[in-house]
Amino acid sequence: MDRISFSDRARTAPEVMIQEVGGESVLLDLKTERYLGLNEVGTRMWQVLLDSDSIQTAYETLLAEYDVAPQQLEEDLRDLLGRLLENALITTEPVG
Amino acid sequence: MIDNTSSQFSSNSRGKEFHWYNIYGIRLSSEIQLPFPYSESMQSADVSLLTESPDFFRDATRSAVINSSPTRWYKYAPLDNGQTYLRWDDLFEFLVDADGRRIWCGWLGAASLESLQVYLLGHALSFALVKQGYEPLHATSVVIDGNAIAFMGSSGFGKSSLAAAFLADGHRLLTDDMLLLRRTDVGYVGQLGPRRIKLFPKIARRFLAGTASSAPMNNETEKLVMPLSEDHRHSNGAPLRVLYILTPPREVSRKQGVRLTSLTARETFIALVRGAFNHVITGPERLARQYIEYLDVASKVPARRIAYPRVLSMLPDVKEAILSDLAELTGRHDRTSAAN
Repeated sequence: MDRISFSDRARTAPEVMIQEVGGESVLLDLKTERYLGLNEVGTRMWQVLLDSDSIQTAYETLLAEYDVAPQQLEEDLRDLLGRLLENALITTEPVG
Repeated sequence: MIDNTSSQFSSNSRGKEFHWYNIYGIRLSSEIQLPFPYSESMQSADVSLLTESPDFFRDATRSAVINSSPTRWYKYAPLDNGQTYLRWDDLFEFLVDADGRRIWCGWLGAASLESLQVYLLGHALSFALVKQGYEPLHATSVVIDGNAIAFMGSSGFGKSSLAAAFLADGHRLLTDDMLLLRRTDVGYVGQLGPRRIKLFPKIARRFLAGTASSAPMNNETEKLVMPLSEDHRHSNGAPLRVLYILTPPREVSRKQGVRLTSLTARETFIALVRGAFNHVITGPERLARQYIEYLDVASKVPARRIAYPRVLSMLPDVKEAILSDLAELTGRHDRTSAAN
């Protein structure tokens, strides 16, 4: 978790496919041959994270969108990012 | 599709007769005469079934590493040349060509032709279909007023027994155990499978009035392979309206009633992946194709999880719950179509 810097940006890992179905998402990691699912909130967080210039921008977008305490959102976002990185579904890189 | 009983033969380059069939919407040419009506002779086959001697299989697998399937039901070996070897000890062995166009069959014991068709037109054919880009499902399907519904679940979950309860009411079987879907302009159409069903004797006696002309599937199970009359079998493909995912029997209390729960598209996708007929062939190319196809099916075909106690007396209630659910769904579908 400590390795996540909000100034970085997130990118989908090269061999990962993601598709939205009925507001939720299914991911396929071709490298590990594993399927993973995201619920509606997870799907929205993924979309914003991957569309934003940085994790900080994604955090601010989600904070404006959801009725959630800033500390809680930061924890949820770090938790999701941690699990996505642990499963090598995303990569992070410095902006610039 | 021509589905009559007139003989249709042609000869292959080895001088053996070919019999032609149309099963799962696939054109089959076969050196083995199968217990189904012939199809008219065709220009080319999607899959050819050929017979070979034990020496042929011994030579083909000389340096192969033989694995057990995930359920340990059969053994298989992916060969260096892309072919796949399959073996059910004391029953049959098969070699499926790299492109899925040919299946060579060999007998290892005194198994019946009815038994052969279960293995050949089930697992062996599934390897050929996946190699050709199809994604068959482990499902049994019946047709109700022109609409196909499919029951999915692992072996022993009661797919065929539930189907038999529908057949007893005059509905018809589309396919037992393996379901092949084709995407069309009107949605996914379930293809017509072999004219037979695998049932335990007590289910056959209860719903199909006896076990005459049936044959044992193998020595490990009581299950029988039962040929069906034309009255019990649908005549062509049918649009798939609902998938019913059968809850494992051990997860249902005997005192519980019938419970139907709608699945989200994501849950349906997961059920489809679990319910793929062939879990042995993997690799990025196959998984990417499966991912795209099953996501599309999940977004177009509604699915329900269905839980019920596995007691024979419950099956009429299960059938009624499904018929009521289907009537509501197809009514909604008709109203939507009319509005558009």
